[in-house]
Amino acid sequence: MLLPARMAVLNYLSSVENADVNEIMEAMRPLYGKERQFTKDAYLDHVMSLEANGLCSLIRYELDDKDELSLRFAINDDGRAAVEKYVPAKYRNK
Amino acid sequence: MNHSANTARASLADAKMKQVNKKFRITGLTTGALSGLTYGIYTTLVLVAGYYEPLVSAVGILAAPYVCSGLNDLFAGIWLTIYNAKKGRLAEIGRTINTFPGKMMVLGALLGGPIANGAYLVGLALAGAYAIPISATCGLFGALFAWIFLKQRPTKRVVAGMIICVSGAIIINWVKPEGSPNFTLGIICALIAAICWGLEGMLSSYGGSMIDTDVATNIRELFSGLVDLVIIVPLVGGLGLLGGTLSAGMPVLWLAISGLSAGASFLLWYKSNATVGCAIGMSLNVTYAFWGVLFCILFLNQPVTLTIVVGSVVIIFGAILVTMNPLDFFKKGEA
Repeated sequence: MLLPARMAVLNYLSSVENADVNEIMEAMRPLYGKERQFTKDAYLDHVMSLEANGLCSLIRYELDDKDELSLRFAINDDGRAAVEKYVPAKYRNK
Repeated sequence: MNHSANTARASLADAKMKQVNKKFRITGLTTGALSGLTYGIYTTLVLVAGYYEPLVSAVGILAAPYVCSGLNDLFAGIWLTIYNAKKGRLAEIGRTINTFPGKMMVLGALLGGPIANGAYLVGLALAGAYAIPISATCGLFGALFAWIFLKQRPTKRVVAGMIICVSGAIIINWVKPEGSPNFTLGIICALIAAICWGLEGMLSSYGGSMIDTDVATNIRELFSGLVDLVIIVPLVGGLGLLGGTLSAGMPVLWLAISGLSAGASFLLWYKSNATVGCAIGMSLNVTYAFWGVLFCILFLNQPVTLTIVVGSVVIIFGAILVTMNPLDFFKKGEA
């Protein structure tokens, strides 16, 4: 069974230095891409809620090629501790 | 790209970022305030359902509240399942229960649902609107359990808020209303509800913030309703009453609407907690005590007494002080 989407987002952030929503979605597309909940709005909501709960931080924001706002998030210590504690080892990215 | 173009893009990014932050914050404050209003509506509608036969003449103090609580939570769970199905998130329910934070949430749902919701409704049945502000002291118990079990020392502000909450509860109980022989028992039930909600909040600190709140509320209401109806109602000898209520029609209709407002309230509350933080979210949600008492006075002929008005205001103020510094509302206002 797959991880719940929000947990999977945090799990992915624990494997990279930082990422914006488009990169997160690209990384999750192979497993979650076919689902109806796979929308940019939903994933922005996931990552911003994780930030509001103190599990990741907004490190920078900029305009992308299409002049859309791109928010870059990085996992922090609390987020990493949560992944280690609650995400089963078989899901974790090396 | 030259320097001035870069600066222009940077300030455009700043403006857009400000917009996003503002929208996020307004969403958090609005959902929090609406969660209080809808919880007040839920409280009033459950009481309305209880005025119909066969609930109104049910024997014993447990059967009718648990039939109401079970049907209400089950309806809330069904409404939330429909909502999540529309959003394409049904698979998330199984995935979430499969994780450790999800399992803690189910445990919390058992405390917060069958025990706390049931006790809240027994309290309402026995003590009327007086039970509402008493149950709002759950923030106090949440802070107390975090102190005992998670070693999170409360600040002076939190302790002051706790003392104010307790004083408010004493004011409410100073004069017992006439003609309610089980008034004190009702207040004790409301306290049990507050204690279990406090514990539920503490359990959600085990990884609960990694879980999608829309899915969490769905699991909570569905589990709570099923456990109420399948286990508790038969235990308290309420199966006949459940059958009678279902075939009576009208009370079920009211409980379906109260379930809608309870489901909406939890959805909005968790959303608020996940956007503006738990402290502000909880303080806004606690305003349900104000709405609940107001609606009972307006629509259910709850007599207005000095003790209920003063006590409610004191408890709401104390509960807000426990969860947040009221000055923060104004400080971050311009963000």
